[in-house]
Amino acid sequence: MQKSLQKYAAVFLFPTGICFLIAFLVPFVFGLYLSFTQFTTVSNTRWVGLDNYLRAFTDNGDFLNALWFTAAFTVVSVLTVNLLAFSLALLLTRGIRGTNLFRTVFFMPNLIGGIVLGYIWQLMINGLLLGAGVDITYDPRYGFWGLVVLMNWQMIGYMMIIYIAGLQSLPGDVLEAAQIDGASPWQKLWHVTVPMIMPSVTICTFLTLTNSFKLFDQNFALTAGAPMKKTAMLALDIYNTFYGRIGDEGVGQAKAVLFFLLVAAIAFFQLWLTRKREVEQ
Amino acid sequence: MKKLTAIAAVFCLLLTAAGCNAADTADPKGDAIYFLNFKPEVAALYDEIASAYREETGVSLRVVTAASGTYEQTLKSEMAKSDAPTLFQINGPLGYLNWKDYCADLSDTQLYQHLKDKSLAVTSEGKVYGIPYVVEGYGIIYNNAIMQKYFRLDGAKVRSAEEINSFSKLREVVEDMTAKKEQLEIDGVFASTSLKPGEDWRWHTHLANIPITYEWEEKGVDLTGAGTKEIQFSFAENFKNIFDLYLDNAVSERKRLGSKQVMDSMAEFALGRCAMVQNGNWAWNDIKEVEGNTIKEEDIRFLPIYTGVEGEENQGLCIGTENFFCINAKASPQDQKRAADFIYWLFSSDTGKRFVTEKLKFIAPFDTFSADESPDDPLAKEVARWINREDAQNIPWNFTLFPSQTFKDHFGGALLQYAQGNLEWDGVVEQVVSDWKSESAGR
Amino acid sequence: MKKPVKQKNGWLISLFLGALSLVFLFPIFLVLINSFKGQFYISDAPFSLPNAQTFSGLDNYKNGVEKVGFISAFGYSLFITVCSVAAIVLFTSMTAWYLMRVKTRGSSALYYLFVFSMIVPFQMVMFTMSKIANLLRLDNPLGIILLYLGFGAGLSVFLYSGFIKSIPLEIEEAAAIDGCHPLQIFFLVVFPILKPTSVTVAILNAMWIWNDYLLPYLVIGSRYRTIPIAVQYLQGGYGSRDMGALMAMLILAIVPIVIFYLTCQKYIIKGVMSGAVKG
Repeated sequence: MQKSLQKYAAVFLFPTGICFLIAFLVPFVFGLYLSFTQFTTVSNTRWVGLDNYLRAFTDNGDFLNALWFTAAFTVVSVLTVNLLAFSLALLLTRGIRGTNLFRTVFFMPNLIGGIVLGYIWQLMINGLLLGAGVDITYDPRYGFWGLVVLMNWQMIGYMMIIYIAGLQSLPGDVLEAAQIDGASPWQKLWHVTVPMIMPSVTICTFLTLTNSFKLFDQNFALTAGAPMKKTAMLALDIYNTFYGRIGDEGVGQAKAVLFFLLVAAIAFFQLWLTRKREVEQ
Repeated sequence: MKKLTAIAAVFCLLLTAAGCNAADTADPKGDAIYFLNFKPEVAALYDEIASAYREETGVSLRVVTAASGTYEQTLKSEMAKSDAPTLFQINGPLGYLNWKDYCADLSDTQLYQHLKDKSLAVTSEGKVYGIPYVVEGYGIIYNNAIMQKYFRLDGAKVRSAEEINSFSKLREVVEDMTAKKEQLEIDGVFASTSLKPGEDWRWHTHLANIPITYEWEEKGVDLTGAGTKEIQFSFAENFKNIFDLYLDNAVSERKRLGSKQVMDSMAEFALGRCAMVQNGNWAWNDIKEVEGNTIKEEDIRFLPIYTGVEGEENQGLCIGTENFFCINAKASPQDQKRAADFIYWLFSSDTGKRFVTEKLKFIAPFDTFSADESPDDPLAKEVARWINREDAQNIPWNFTLFPSQTFKDHFGGALLQYAQGNLEWDGVVEQVVSDWKSESAGR
Repeated sequence: MKKPVKQKNGWLISLFLGALSLVFLFPIFLVLINSFKGQFYISDAPFSLPNAQTFSGLDNYKNGVEKVGFISAFGYSLFITVCSVAAIVLFTSMTAWYLMRVKTRGSSALYYLFVFSMIVPFQMVMFTMSKIANLLRLDNPLGIILLYLGFGAGLSVFLYSGFIKSIPLEIEEAAAIDGCHPLQIFFLVVFPILKPTSVTVAILNAMWIWNDYLLPYLVIGSRYRTIPIAVQYLQGGYGSRDMGALMAMLILAIVPIVIFYLTCQKYIIKGVMSGAVKG
């Protein structure tokens, strides 16, 4: 069958392949090349070697600042989102009344786009800070926690669904056995449930990790980096560098390459962890 | 299942058609003059102008408007496209340096022939690359009704606006008004100092123009030379004087200014919640369109922005332009010609001129306009009055020489931090001086 | 299995979750309230209900719809999302099947390229992609579908491949012996089996494309505004951000999503679950 199928390679591969080439492969390779050049409109590239990479760190502190901000934000978001989502999933798998309704409500914010979310929370947070006579731009910490709350609001429902799926697939007899052995609910949770839903934990951690790390729309709409770019995350900093000033496009592209390498590193680390665990089991 | 194959076939067709289709729709696009507009506040008007132009001449005009503070950025990405703007604008000599490859020589255009003051144009080596199309002025706009109320109060520091001719007088009056704001039924003397990013140009650009101009004047800097690449910000104290006065006597608290926008300030002014606001004649539309505005046309006046510089008694408004038409030198000669025809039409034909004076409310610097063909809004009339006042020393718009948008954005960010109390004034000054230098370096 | 235990404090948990649901819905409710207030009464008192002075009826909606061209934005968003999702489902399933069934060095290299593309952030290609899209004249609502197909191919091929691996070859071989050629085998036999994955792929891509901001902004933003671009556009202008119109647009942007969600909830949640398990 493989032979006859190969005759149809063009039909099966061409549409996706050509688009993949246009939308991803060529831009990717071209982007790598551009990160070593100075350019404004692509037609006037000039090779500058590693200059752009150097400038990403030395022109100003924006990139490093964005890196730390993003890292801190990611850690806090991953922890809070997963803890809260898991707790909600536990509560929603006990068969109480209204489970479906609650699940519907908690999941809904996930479907709303980042730009819209950002403005909704800008109104919310500025309203709350009104009493203190300040607004979200007053202190980068406000922007930070604003983003964390927003992220939780958006992601909890999604992660909760995955945890619910994990919890529902748990074999009932193991839990019953634990109960008969006289395990307290807490022990049961910690020693039976949690180890058994580790695959869900891995998935959720990975999803929150990459989503937090690559966050752009929400950041763009909520604070746009104010005050003084102190709340700009990596993706936003790259965007700002790119489209900010004539002559900085190369630096923006270099930052984008570094950003890509970071995301790739996180992904491979995750893959390695999962593999390792699979081997251990 | 046949259906599915059919759908597949349709999609293949559709996708291959996407390329061709783009080419098809490109034709009418290629027909239109592509104008990248700088002024978002008049974006809707340009659409009206485009349809009027099409009606009269059969030539269509496509107007794309960049959002506030993103013109350079938009221009950059649009210029990189195959279907680039034919008509665009620069903000002065510095903008010309950025875009000189794209600026066509306009010396032979009809519009340039009609420019009253040829020295206003952006020129280089005897050729003309940018034609100014609007003269504007800014200062402190005040509500005369509230001021009159104050003048009539017992113990008012002055009895008429003419007596306010220096910063010390202004401060005296403003602080006294703040003390009596209940009697005056206002929430503050000044409207909120809008410092939201992108909404802070009244300070980092317009207000900063005054101390920088004084600095260059004092040092006798040649504005066309390299002398503008570095500044000491020696009149920083004067900037601080007036900026503090704005902050301390305003409707909003200092800490909440980061989400205030220009429109909020103009609304506060229009609703009579404050007596003064720093802005230019273009703001008339904003004031007029605020629902429930209480201000009467005849009560709107301008006051110069005094900052406490010696001999400022004769200072006038800040009058100039940062709007220069340029024609894309890389467009086809035919397109260039059509763009030139359009701008000439806009500033010389009856229809065009009506749009300019009545809708756009531009004070146009061309001799095609007679004295009575000028905008009839109160702020434009005030600007015209100040232009014609012999005793007043109006300040030119030197902010067109400010190094970059990045410089301005940083400056605005620092001002916000200063306003919120998170940055010392010295820090602002330091940052301005060093940013100016580093942002000028690439030039 | 453990019903007796949970009934005891079930109502307490219900109460708690009920309260939490209200907290979850509050931000949207807040925007709704403010969308009926005049634009200058919003940022100074966001938590107060509209009163005689601040109530502005449907002005904000009218204003916003006119200002940003919401109707056409909705049209563009819908068109782009529906067509892109259809193209992605159709073409990436074909590609995935081919890659799983034809085992050559080339095909596995291509497969890994697709997987690789999943981890590349958009910022890496944003400039070059929009430049190429412009050169090839793909900067229109039709052309952008190709970009979504290309950029979305990675995840979709990956999801389909995972499922296809689990389909026994025998079914397809039987069809081949019956004289079906590969296109027939795919559309008559394989594609129907793939339906659950197709739902997942469709849902995940629809959620992404409908809400996407940067890609359409950079590629077609100056001429065609999708909903996120329209919302962001309200932000621009010399002091022209109209808070009232912004609130109204936020509500209008949310409403179609909520309707879609409530009608297709079952599929969406299932799609998210299975998408996550494989991703």
